[in-house]
Amino acid sequence: MNIIGRRKIWYSISFLMIVPGLISLFVYGLNLGIDFRSGQMSTVAGDPNAAVIRTVASDAGFKDVQIVVAGNQTQIRFTDPTPQAQHEANHEKFKTDLASKGIEELSFDSVGPTVSKDIAQSAIISLILVSLAIVAYIAFAFRNAPQPVSPLSFGVVAIAALLHDALFVLGVFSILGHFFGVEIDALFVTAILTVIGFSVHDTIVVFDRIRENLRREKGTFEHIVNDSILETFARSVNTSLTVLFTLLALLLFGGQSIHYFVLALLIGIASGTYSSIFNASPLLVTWHNFKLNRKVKESKKPAKG
Amino acid sequence: MSDMSLRVKFALILVLALVTTLIALPREDKVFKLFGLKNVTMQVKQGLDLQGGAQLVFQADLSKVPASKRDTSMQQLVTVMQKRANPGGTSEVVVQRQGSDRIIISLPGEKDIAAAIARIGKTGNLVFLEINPTTGAETPTGITGNDVESATADYDPQTSQPIVRLQLKSGDATKRFGEVTTRINQNSTRLVTLLDQDVVFGPATVSTPILDGTAQLQGNFTIQTAKDTADLINAGALPVSVTLVEQRTVGPTLGKESVSKSFVAGVIGLTIVALFMLLYYRLAGVLAVGALFIYTTTTITLYKLSAFLPGYTIVLTLAGIAGFILSIGMAVDANILIFERLKEELRAGKSFVAATEAAFDRAWTSIRDSNVSTLITCTILYMSSGSTPIIRGFAVTLGLGVLVSLFTAVVVTRTFLRLTIRQAWGRNPKWYGVKTEDVE
Repeated sequence: MNIIGRRKIWYSISFLMIVPGLISLFVYGLNLGIDFRSGQMSTVAGDPNAAVIRTVASDAGFKDVQIVVAGNQTQIRFTDPTPQAQHEANHEKFKTDLASKGIEELSFDSVGPTVSKDIAQSAIISLILVSLAIVAYIAFAFRNAPQPVSPLSFGVVAIAALLHDALFVLGVFSILGHFFGVEIDALFVTAILTVIGFSVHDTIVVFDRIRENLRREKGTFEHIVNDSILETFARSVNTSLTVLFTLLALLLFGGQSIHYFVLALLIGIASGTYSSIFNASPLLVTWHNFKLNRKVKESKKPAKG
Repeated sequence: MSDMSLRVKFALILVLALVTTLIALPREDKVFKLFGLKNVTMQVKQGLDLQGGAQLVFQADLSKVPASKRDTSMQQLVTVMQKRANPGGTSEVVVQRQGSDRIIISLPGEKDIAAAIARIGKTGNLVFLEINPTTGAETPTGITGNDVESATADYDPQTSQPIVRLQLKSGDATKRFGEVTTRINQNSTRLVTLLDQDVVFGPATVSTPILDGTAQLQGNFTIQTAKDTADLINAGALPVSVTLVEQRTVGPTLGKESVSKSFVAGVIGLTIVALFMLLYYRLAGVLAVGALFIYTTTTITLYKLSAFLPGYTIVLTLAGIAGFILSIGMAVDANILIFERLKEELRAGKSFVAATEAAFDRAWTSIRDSNVSTLITCTILYMSSGSTPIIRGFAVTLGLGVLVSLFTAVVVTRTFLRLTIRQAWGRNPKWYGVKTEDVE
């Protein structure tokens, strides 16, 4: 099987998978939850009448009321325009009013503006730190990689694969956010970071085989990379399958509170498997060929002087 | 490796498997009883999202406190809030500093969140003022909540109204209160007592100077609010005022549902992974399932044991369970890497012994590098998760899972495999998913 030879097909598939999400990201952005934009969210059981909820919410003086049904729960998002000291009293009234209408509040979250700013900040910082630390580690782990590939190219390509997976998940959630009201919370950042970690985990295994085969085998770089992908193919697919099985079990049978967290992990890890087989290693070849071509061109230039 | 040390290793692994299974069982106390250990219970500590309760974050207003004293103020704040959040000192309330100016409080199982917020967040500033009835001028008397030795809720013997009795500290405080009341009595001015700007006594005349340091507050109390006020005064005033900036409350029904659902999801996930390994890797799959079993019991044992290490207790949250289940997938990955490699080496015509050793040697760099990258992610998540315990829980369980899986995949599986291939029945390529005709 020639995977490397068909790399343009694989790149195109990735392109088609990512572009709709990217467009959605640019047009609609992400639907940020209260963790990032502050506000209140009350989660109630079942799927109660929205008009009843709205009346109760406006009686309590809440603004920007948004009602989103998520599985067997309903999220009521709102902001309370009164000073922070009165929030709890208002919420107490809201909760009792709901209870008198037979609606049970399962959980309640309230995040102030200073806290949400901090959460957003630490999310961005951890994303950057994780990416940098991983490039550094890969460059270090592959420092003795035999020519013709530089350790840095392994790191950079791994980052490209990781961006592929992160952007895919972000894009899907941008679409889900716009059309289904799915919000991004602090847990979502955890999911993205885990997807990044897993994506690299997967990519490294293939790279490791490439490094080993470069030492042992003779042949073109393209050929060696293709062999390495094929040799690790069963492992990549099997590992992803076991992880996807466990995540699928969590998605179908686990609690509602982590439903979208698990979904983000599921699509991210599926994307991570694809990118490590069909993007990362082929990109190494593309990079290698690009450098070769440039060298050839340079040597063809008439020498000056 | 010699036969002897291999057998010793195998025996040690069996002991580990047995001990961790006994501890990991849900009714481990029954097991301990058989060994004569009574009343030893171990629990995996559950986070607020699983057992229900509230997490509150208060922001302190340090704008009026000089920079050099801010640290002390925050420490005092923790002490006073601890007393208020947990007056009896019995419940599992945790009060911690978060960053430079926040306090994070977790109240497991708390049902009346509104009351808890009021109880903890009130400044609790008790002041005694002297009021001139003609001019209306208010002068502080210098007597404050700091001078109070103890406060108790009681009923007024005459009116049967709930009141709060105060006993001032003996010595200086009592002496000063005597001087103040004498002065008010002589000048015919009024005494008023304010708690956080609310009048809780007076304004009233003082008929006889109070020399024994007793005082009482009547603030339209019910017996419950009188008790709460007494607790508030006993805990002392907050050194600075605070505002509630974050609140996360989970009702007990949602928590219970999450636990049972996650348990079902975990069992189903583990079963599917085990079946997959058995079908795909045959005999090697059996060894992997054995290793996976030890992995699971060891991890649960570590969760339970960590409860005995204050400060390092692993608190299992919903995200933490996801981290644990995800780490099962990663634990299996190490075995898959080894077994795929074993198949390759067997196909290349190597003997079972040589193929096994080569499989472990060659797979090791992949296992190491891929797990280190996951551990890097976990470490960074853990360190930057200050404001969100849910993320910390995920980072801890995933990270611990990766470490334990390194042990089970490499040490346990290797020992199992080395022992198996010494037996004649364990040397059939077919049992490892390798077709005989494929062997070179």
